[in-house]
Amino acid sequence: MMFQDNEEDYKFGACTYFAKNHPGETCGSNGLPLTPSSITILGRAQRLLTIEHPNLCTYLDVIRGKHERIIVVAEVIGKSLKECSQKFSNDEITNIAKQLANGLNFLHQQDIVHRTLSDDNIFIDSNGRVKLFNYGLYNMTGGGSEVSFPLGLPRYLSPETILNGGGPAADVWSFGIILLELCIGKLWNNLKPGPILRRILTLVHASNPAERIAREHDCLEQYKQIPEDLKIVIEKCLSIYPNERATFDDVIEMLSRVDTKLVAEVKAPRGLMGCKLQYLYYWWQLAGGDIQSELKKNYLIKNSPPILSMPIAILLDGCTIGGKSGALFDRRIAKYSLGLLKSRLSHIPPHDYYPLMHERRKQYDAVTLPKIIRERDTEYQFYRLLWFQRLLHGYPYTAPYIRAEAEVDIPPLLRGQVWAALLGVVGDIEEQYERIDKETPTPTDRQIDVDIPRCHQYCWLLCGSAGHRTLKRLLKAWLLTNPQYVYWQGLDSLTAPFLYLNFCNEARAFACLSAFVPKFLHKFFLKDNSAVIKEYLAKFWQMTAFHEPELATHLHDINFVPELFAIPWFLTMFSHVFPLHKIVHLWDALLVEGPALPLFMGVGILRQLRDTLLSSGFNECILLFSDLPEIDIGECVKESIDMCRSSPRSISYRRFTNEAQVKDPMDIVEIPMEVLFTELCPRISLSDFFSLICQDKCCVIDIRSNLLYEKSCIDGSINVPYSGVHLGQHELRALGLHPQRVLQEAIKLKKIVVVASAEDETAQLFSDYLVKCGVPKVCILHGGISALLAHVPSLFVVPPKRNGHK
Amino acid sequence: MTEVIQRAENVVKTFLYEFPTCTTEELTFKLEVPVDIPLAGSTRELVQRVITMFHVPVYLEDDLNEKLSKFVAQETKTFHNSRDGKLIDQLKNSEINVEGVIKNWEKLFKENVMEFAEQKGTSDEEVFAAAYHKLVHSPALETILQVENSYAKTILNTLENREDDIKKLTEKQTEEMEEKIKQLNISTTEEEINGLAAAHFEQQALVAGRWGSQLDALRQTQRAQHRAWLMNTLEEYQSTSALNTPSNSPLATFSPELGPLPVVPGAAGAHRLEESFTIHLGSQLKQTHNIRIVAMDLLDLCIVNPQEGSRRLQTSLSLYSSELSGVVLLTESPPRRPAPPTTTLVSAATSSTEHHFADVELQLKEISEKVREPADKRNNQRQREQSENMSNCSNSSNGNNSNSGPRMRPRRDLQTGDIFITKHSNLDEVHVVFHLIVDDSELRSGDITSRHPAILGLRNILKAACSNDITSLSIPLLLRHEMSEEMTVAWCARRAELVLKCAKGFMLEAAGWGGADLRTLHFVLPPATRPPLFATLAHLLPSIFRISNPVKCSRPRD
Repeated sequence: MMFQDNEEDYKFGACTYFAKNHPGETCGSNGLPLTPSSITILGRAQRLLTIEHPNLCTYLDVIRGKHERIIVVAEVIGKSLKECSQKFSNDEITNIAKQLANGLNFLHQQDIVHRTLSDDNIFIDSNGRVKLFNYGLYNMTGGGSEVSFPLGLPRYLSPETILNGGGPAADVWSFGIILLELCIGKLWNNLKPGPILRRILTLVHASNPAERIAREHDCLEQYKQIPEDLKIVIEKCLSIYPNERATFDDVIEMLSRVDTKLVAEVKAPRGLMGCKLQYLYYWWQLAGGDIQSELKKNYLIKNSPPILSMPIAILLDGCTIGGKSGALFDRRIAKYSLGLLKSRLSHIPPHDYYPLMHERRKQYDAVTLPKIIRERDTEYQFYRLLWFQRLLHGYPYTAPYIRAEAEVDIPPLLRGQVWAALLGVVGDIEEQYERIDKETPTPTDRQIDVDIPRCHQYCWLLCGSAGHRTLKRLLKAWLLTNPQYVYWQGLDSLTAPFLYLNFCNEARAFACLSAFVPKFLHKFFLKDNSAVIKEYLAKFWQMTAFHEPELATHLHDINFVPELFAIPWFLTMFSHVFPLHKIVHLWDALLVEGPALPLFMGVGILRQLRDTLLSSGFNECILLFSDLPEIDIGECVKESIDMCRSSPRSISYRRFTNEAQVKDPMDIVEIPMEVLFTELCPRISLSDFFSLICQDKCCVIDIRSNLLYEKSCIDGSINVPYSGVHLGQHELRALGLHPQRVLQEAIKLKKIVVVASAEDETAQLFSDYLVKCGVPKVCILHGGISALLAHVPSLFVVPPKRNGHK
Repeated sequence: MTEVIQRAENVVKTFLYEFPTCTTEELTFKLEVPVDIPLAGSTRELVQRVITMFHVPVYLEDDLNEKLSKFVAQETKTFHNSRDGKLIDQLKNSEINVEGVIKNWEKLFKENVMEFAEQKGTSDEEVFAAAYHKLVHSPALETILQVENSYAKTILNTLENREDDIKKLTEKQTEEMEEKIKQLNISTTEEEINGLAAAHFEQQALVAGRWGSQLDALRQTQRAQHRAWLMNTLEEYQSTSALNTPSNSPLATFSPELGPLPVVPGAAGAHRLEESFTIHLGSQLKQTHNIRIVAMDLLDLCIVNPQEGSRRLQTSLSLYSSELSGVVLLTESPPRRPAPPTTTLVSAATSSTEHHFADVELQLKEISEKVREPADKRNNQRQREQSENMSNCSNSSNGNNSNSGPRMRPRRDLQTGDIFITKHSNLDEVHVVFHLIVDDSELRSGDITSRHPAILGLRNILKAACSNDITSLSIPLLLRHEMSEEMTVAWCARRAELVLKCAKGFMLEAAGWGGADLRTLHFVLPPATRPPLFATLAHLLPSIFRISNPVKCSRPRD
């Protein structure tokens, strides 16, 4: 299917330039190497991505290419003033002026100076709508200090800019020149930069620079015919002294007095074109859209073979001689049409663009595919994004829906928002965050300053100065609002994912962090957190024994305890261990499943390393964990969720959580900490046990003496009197034929093996024994037979005499 | 990583705020808050800090917010406008060098912005590069290699002839001389012998000169022919777009003995000690690299074995790509007067025609000319600093410093730790040669630290590799090309550990530079390395780098 190549088809455009190289070998004040300029630009530009205004082209993406290349992608409309050949009427000029002033005024309110305003970055469409393109170049390059080329075009530079000054008022001058050009035609055509600049500087001696320019161009007659209202604006903008120039507030005010026909209201488009531009760009990329290829086609990216620009010598101090000369800055813009995306989504019926929340949605076949593939599927992401957008609109009332959908997956583009919803972030978070003092120095600052330059620095956002500054503010804010806690190393890693996903929304990153810690890391950041950590690790060890008995036995035998490797795992919820693209998938599951999942994720990681661990001794294990090998996160998440869901809730019980205290004796499994540290198998609560029995999902081993057993026992249990067990023989066969058969059957059916006893000590020893025999899913009935008899006597029967028993 | 903060000189303005006390009407509290103009943060946050610090009643929050934001806006505007107003006053009073300012802008626009740059199209070099790159990735590849091979053969034959000729001449002259000497004091005098020696010398020079100019002429002809033929072939290729064997192949003019080359296993590569690893670097995000440790002569990477065509093929294919390969050679001499191993490299590079770049001798000459000024400047500065230090510590007994310090080279030359770079299209496996200038006696003696010039030079090389798309690099692991007696196993292990650890650090650092990834790093040991030593050093690698183990699929369990 062919698409017409008309100008309205172009939805976004890209331009590219190189950031400046740092000369020679220089270091920052802290002795670390300098941040590449492109990283600094990338960090600064993030804020621009969030700016929306009807007279500004929305920024869509800032890409860092190889060798310090920056590519900026933004919305485009119609064509640039430079490309417009027709003469505008006075009405039209006033309209353009009004819209330009609105856009520029908005920028100045945001403390953004345009500086590069020119006829080739002002776009106008057939309806007369005007938008500024790439207005943030000056801002993102730190006032031009991160690039080697001069910003702006000579004829739009204000006198003070030429003299290397220039503040926001310079934009007013440029705006004045644009208006003058619209009225009397292009200025200083065919002149080289030098003569143009010289002429601008001589204007300082003129009493009325605008008129002087017109006279120089032999356009005095034309100039005089400009309507008075407009002429005053031009003259006020072209005052030599910046403090005499109008501000955009004044300009808007002056122009509002001019009567013009308003721009015709354009009806908002429906269907695909009605979707958010950011979504369109995202889908377009998924559908195979490639920004770089179009730039190459237009020769905006030229690849000269690197061997031709090899330097000839490098001095010891890093000073390079010969080689690459800086590439020229090309102001042209490559435009992109949405044809690709339109044809990809052409079969989608119109009503699918407006999903209804209470409508039963169809299942997409993609759901069965791995998450990484789903995240790259155009159509799948199309449906998911629209659906989540809908749900997020209704938040917090839609919280349960969001949770249910997040269980399937979370669209990467909305992850920051969805996480906030999953964490229950509500209210005026901006104001709350604003109230916290993030600037006043505190004693922890020094440690934070040391840690931040080591935190996820492969990520281009986090390794720049913008990232460092924001991370520090977040950490300080969190410490200040949580005076009961201290800064433990690792808190920086824990904060990083939230910052990464909410780079331009510090308040949301902070709110997420504040909600995350009590839920998943309650009391972990206490000054004395040893009890909390010990309990956590003990539970982790029990879960390992529960799901991986063979591995747990081996690690026990070589004395490789979790204190040696797992503290950073849990203290940072794995964010210190994995790269961000893996953490997000891990945490997607974490936020949905709740605080028990991390224990099983730990087991999931061990399971992936199972074969290596089983064949390693203590030293090899230490070495292996000092730098964790590659882990398949998709697999790990899947398995840990399976483990988590198949485990009774009570076996992963911890006392140090934020959850309400358990009161019902049927639910209690708490034991003194010293006991916990000695038990390899977890305890199961009476109520969990009851529900397992009812579902026939467990195998009960009664280890009391056969006398007691024969009097009264749990229905369906088998009796293995503890006194008859040889703890030294780690083989099920040693228990006798019947118990062996029952246990093997239970293992095959994945039943949970519950050890019931009259006293704790024997239950513990016997359950340890079972783990050593390699029996998975062993746990101890909390309170033993007596407690069960007291609360659920109905489960007890008198066992039938066994056949053949003499 | 940090950033240089360049900021226009800020000013501090004092924000005044008054509010009534609750008790007395006339009495007011007064606040004075110093504020940076322009303000980097948000005024609303500043207000919050002020409220906490001065215990301002909260009902004043909105008022304070409004007043402070107005204050900052006004002051910022004044700050910019008064600075710029002053500039304009200065301009009006002719206190500014207008011409200088304008020249500077002109230069900036002309040198950096496409629209204002002097029209410069694609250079000849780039056109040829594009043509060559296209053709080697077409069916014409085989022909090109054959042609280049035959060209090389001609040069080689000529070189052999030259050697022959010179040898014959030398033999003849020796005979003559011996004859003459026998006759000494019988029928000849010393003067006559001296005269003969002078004549011989002249003859030698004449022959050498004749061959030299013949070779030069041959190279030039070949280069011109090669270019012309390639451009023609490309034209033909583009017009027919189907091309198997170029019809205008200059092969036709060569003897038919040039059939497909017999594959002879290279003698050098036959029994190399070598081992390869795939490693992971980085604590969270892992980058993958290949590391190879091998005992061989680094120059084997440069010297072309005419019997072996396959390696040249790879080199030609990637010549104009962004996957170049490089080698680090240690040398004691600056480019002005090359010594081994540079001379060995020169003879390898001149044994066939350099079709793409300047001849290696010319490159060396150009380098030595171009580095003169920057090196001079740097060396002078160094000397100044040194003499300052000397004078600073002249009071303390530090007299032995002068003879133990690095040997001073001529002031206008490169010094230890500096690097010069040559590029080649006709070497065996490399395109780029980094000549790292070292002080061999110092490297021989053993203990060096990570701040040693040779190590810093390696860092510069890795950085240059990263920013110039060199993705495969060979470096001498022990910073020595040959084994010598002081290089005991312990010495080697220590040196290897230092170089490996530094290389690891540099590679980690390079990840942030945003250049090309170093795919393969070859650590090369001297060819005479004994197997036990090799095993020891190869064993070091997994202890320093993390060897990647593949992700294992967990077995389905029951």
